[in-house]
Amino acid sequence: MTDDPLAPIRQAVADALLAIAPEADLGAVDAGRSLREQLDLDSFDFLNLLIALQQRLGVAVPEADYGRVDALDALVAYLASHGARA
Amino acid sequence: MRAAIAAAMARSKREIPHYYLGCDALVEPSLGALEAFNAGRPLAERVLFAALALRAIALALREAPELNGRFVDGRFEPSANVHLGVVTALRGGGLLVPTVHDADRLALPELMAALRDALARARSGQLRSSDLADSTATVTNLGELGTDMVYGVIYPPQVALIGLGRVAARPVVRDGQVVAARTVHLSLAADHRASDGLIGARFLAAVPQRLARAALP
Repeated sequence: MTDDPLAPIRQAVADALLAIAPEADLGAVDAGRSLREQLDLDSFDFLNLLIALQQRLGVAVPEADYGRVDALDALVAYLASHGARA
Repeated sequence: MRAAIAAAMARSKREIPHYYLGCDALVEPSLGALEAFNAGRPLAERVLFAALALRAIALALREAPELNGRFVDGRFEPSANVHLGVVTALRGGGLLVPTVHDADRLALPELMAALRDALARARSGQLRSSDLADSTATVTNLGELGTDMVYGVIYPPQVALIGLGRVAARPVVRDGQVVAARTVHLSLAADHRASDGLIGARFLAAVPQRLARAALP
């Protein structure tokens, strides 16, 4: 088991994604490419994802930053750098 | 479900004499107003463009009674209410059309909440009978899938289907110069037994007028 300090945040993101897209194969997702495209998330799905992550991790992503969080790695890094409490 | 949709669509094309109108709407001003609105608000209160468009459409439908109602027993019955059906795709395949009731009477934040709620219920299989039965017109939004224009098939016994395409920055002419601004293609499929091109055109002109204002509709 690796010591990934971001593991709890990754898990929170995975849980939130599976609640919206239960059929998704997260292992097959390219962490550097658009999450919305790969998982077919529309603007409502994406908003619901951010709301769930705010509830779980305490970080609210402003609209101006949406472009910075549309990839799995970028989303996790953003949450980590904005004080996510996991 | 596919069989039911197929039957309705086949019936629609057999019975309804469709006519189609479309236009490009400048949405940059109202999107700017929306971004300012959302900037000060918590996530759960943010309003999405779909709600903005739905409200502009609902208000315009209120002024276009020949596009809002049911064609039954050879006669058109206009409705005093604007209950908008919103086409939504299900993740496993198939379509549902939940209804946002009184879309013309809800303030924008309430409309957004009703829309989010209706879509969430549709996608989780928790629709109520009032969600599906009584819409007076339907909106189909394929913009998020990258489609620029959609010309759809009217759901009988309705007489209009409004289509929204992709919001994107496109070249527009302002003061004689070509600049980039966000636009969306708006379409109307309407029943020629209930309305004609003049009525359809007036409706279709009213929606962009609202969206081209730097204020929320």
